Amino acid sequence: MTNNNLNKLLAFCVLFCAQKTSIVHALETKVALLLHAEPEIPKCFAEGLSDLTCFWEEDEERAGSADQYSFRYTYQNENSSECAVTALPAAGGKRLYFCRLSQTPCFVPLDIRVFRDDLLIHNRSLFIELVFLLDPPANLTLTSTGTQGQLKASWLPPSLKYMGDSMMYEVSYAMAGSHIGKVEEVQASSELILRGLQSGTKYKVRIRIKLDGISYSGYWSAWTDPVLMETMPGDLDPLIVSLSLIISLVLTLLSLIVLMSHRRFLLKKIWPIIPTPESKFQGLFKVYGGDFQEWLGHSTGGLWLRPAYFYSEEFPAPLEVLSEVSLGPALPSSALPPKASEALGEEEDEDKKLKRVDSALMEGWRETPQEHWPMDQLRAIHQHPAPWTQSSLLESHDAYVTLNAQNHSGEEPLDDILEETLPLQVLFASGRTSSESRSDLGSFQQSSGSGCLSSQSSFEYPNHTWPPKGPGYTYMAVADSGVSMDYSPISSNKIDDIGKGVIYTNEYKNEIPAHRRPIGTPIHFAF
Amino acid sequence: MELSPRLFTLLLMLLEWTRPGLPSPLRPICDLRVLKHFIEEARDAQAAMLTCKEGCGLPEPVTVPQTKVDFSVWERKNALEQAHEVQSGLWLLNQAIGSLRASVTNTALHSHIDNSLINIFRIGKVLRSLNIQECTPPAGEVSRGEETWRVSSASELLQVHVNFLRGKLQLLLSNAPVCH
Repeated sequence: MTNNNLNKLLAFCVLFCAQKTSIVHALETKVALLLHAEPEIPKCFAEGLSDLTCFWEEDEERAGSADQYSFRYTYQNENSSECAVTALPAAGGKRLYFCRLSQTPCFVPLDIRVFRDDLLIHNRSLFIELVFLLDPPANLTLTSTGTQGQLKASWLPPSLKYMGDSMMYEVSYAMAGSHIGKVEEVQASSELILRGLQSGTKYKVRIRIKLDGISYSGYWSAWTDPVLMETMPGDLDPLIVSLSLIISLVLTLLSLIVLMSHRRFLLKKIWPIIPTPESKFQGLFKVYGGDFQEWLGHSTGGLWLRPAYFYSEEFPAPLEVLSEVSLGPALPSSALPPKASEALGEEEDEDKKLKRVDSALMEGWRETPQEHWPMDQLRAIHQHPAPWTQSSLLESHDAYVTLNAQNHSGEEPLDDILEETLPLQVLFASGRTSSESRSDLGSFQQSSGSGCLSSQSSFEYPNHTWPPKGPGYTYMAVADSGVSMDYSPISSNKIDDIGKGVIYTNEYKNEIPAHRRPIGTPIHFAF
Repeated sequence: MELSPRLFTLLLMLLEWTRPGLPSPLRPICDLRVLKHFIEEARDAQAAMLTCKEGCGLPEPVTVPQTKVDFSVWERKNALEQAHEVQSGLWLLNQAIGSLRASVTNTALHSHIDNSLINIFRIGKVLRSLNIQECTPPAGEVSRGEETWRVSSASELLQVHVNFLRGKLQLLLSNAPVCH
């Protein structure tokens, strides 16, 4: 029994102490709040309908005992009364003096006077219903509303009669860990739905209370302890998904429309068209299957003159370059004698062709004034048989080409010609050896087409051992300016002399050799 | 003779339409924002009176109701007593502010005082809507010790006006049975 009683007493004491501690703690909080919010002295606050607590603070060194102070108060139209003053120590070397009134009426002015040793130190007039400092709302709870981004905060309002409609709440909410939050006010309510929150995020919420100031007024209460709650996790809103799909579809359609409207431009950039010469050669591929000789023979509009450098590579007849003669002045860009080029490109009877070539060339030489240049040069060489290397006219990379009146392979398929592995192979002297030239000739001979002309190159014969072919052969001097080639016949007796010189072969492979040939170096063809 | 029943019927119908009697009851005004509006205008009048220096005095002291509310005492009173207390107080205020209107020469205050008088009239209508009957003190009974007191300045009078509206009237309206 004694133990039981002792236990009960102990529990009571503990509870009492705890309550006292909490009361003291609450009082301390309110005191701190008022010291900050209220400028007048004494600072007074009401916690309920019929109480009033007033206090003031003094520095420790100037403070007197509690009985030195007297707290006198007077309601309107009433006699004054006095309140007992109590003192409590405070932080920061201060002392607090309290006076607590009960049974306090409202809506009537109250005059307060504080005396210290009969000396008035503080004076204040107030309305008690205008200095309410309530306790924070209790039981703050957060619940989910079932909707994303929302939380419902609910609390228990203070149980004060007549003031329910006057209570105003301030709800502060922020993401856990963040100091930046939002505040919402609500009046005369005990719950609030917080909207616009992030999904799947923890929020901390707290609340405080104040009276609205019409009939009753006061100070903001202390904040409640924060309550944490996580919002619902994010979910794919079907509306958002469908809208996203529609938008992506619209964007895709727009991009397709743009692409289609600019397809030509894009195709040109991504897949450039390989130019074909078909447009320039009407009917060459469609009608004649690429047979250039036949096309030349049947081409309408007469002689379609092309620059000499273009035709010179497409000689079906084998052609060997004997030497190149560099001329001082640039050669004119005159085309081959048109008859000559036409003749050389034909696949007719070999004799006829040869004669025609012969005559055409002769005619051409007579026509063009430049024809004399190679001849003049060769005459000069003949007259002055100086070493080639010392010749001012003929340079070391001179070459001579012989045209043979032989049908190497008349049955050569047209494909060879179509493939344009031309019989004419000319190699430039610079950097090339005779052995190279020989191999080129080999390939050259294989690819000789059905032309009625054959040729040999002076490169076959190194060390200047070019054998003259005899009276049956006609030699042509070819002057290549890099733009055009001029042909001039060389008499065989003169070739003997020329044969002693350095002989080179050049290779043509259906390309305009101008870019591979040193400009200004003529090529002499001898046949 | 045959026409008389028809005439009688017609007459009854006409009387039914023009039936004399009490007007239909007002819809109860329970929204306290109305009272909030009256209180704010009374505060404006009090603030304006404080700035007045001349031509804003009462010729003689007037009787005004007590504004003090002791909640424990108020709760002990029944609804009728509370209603009577509020209605008589309003009547006194009406009288006092009426006399103030007659004596104030400052034209700037006239609008405020007129507003206060109109608001007292409107409050009466609100009370009627809540089935709170008017109650005027019997003739001759000007002052009743505990419930009234006398003021001699216009500012005091208007302060009493504000406090009365904030206190007793508000308590009465917020606890009207019709609104709960």
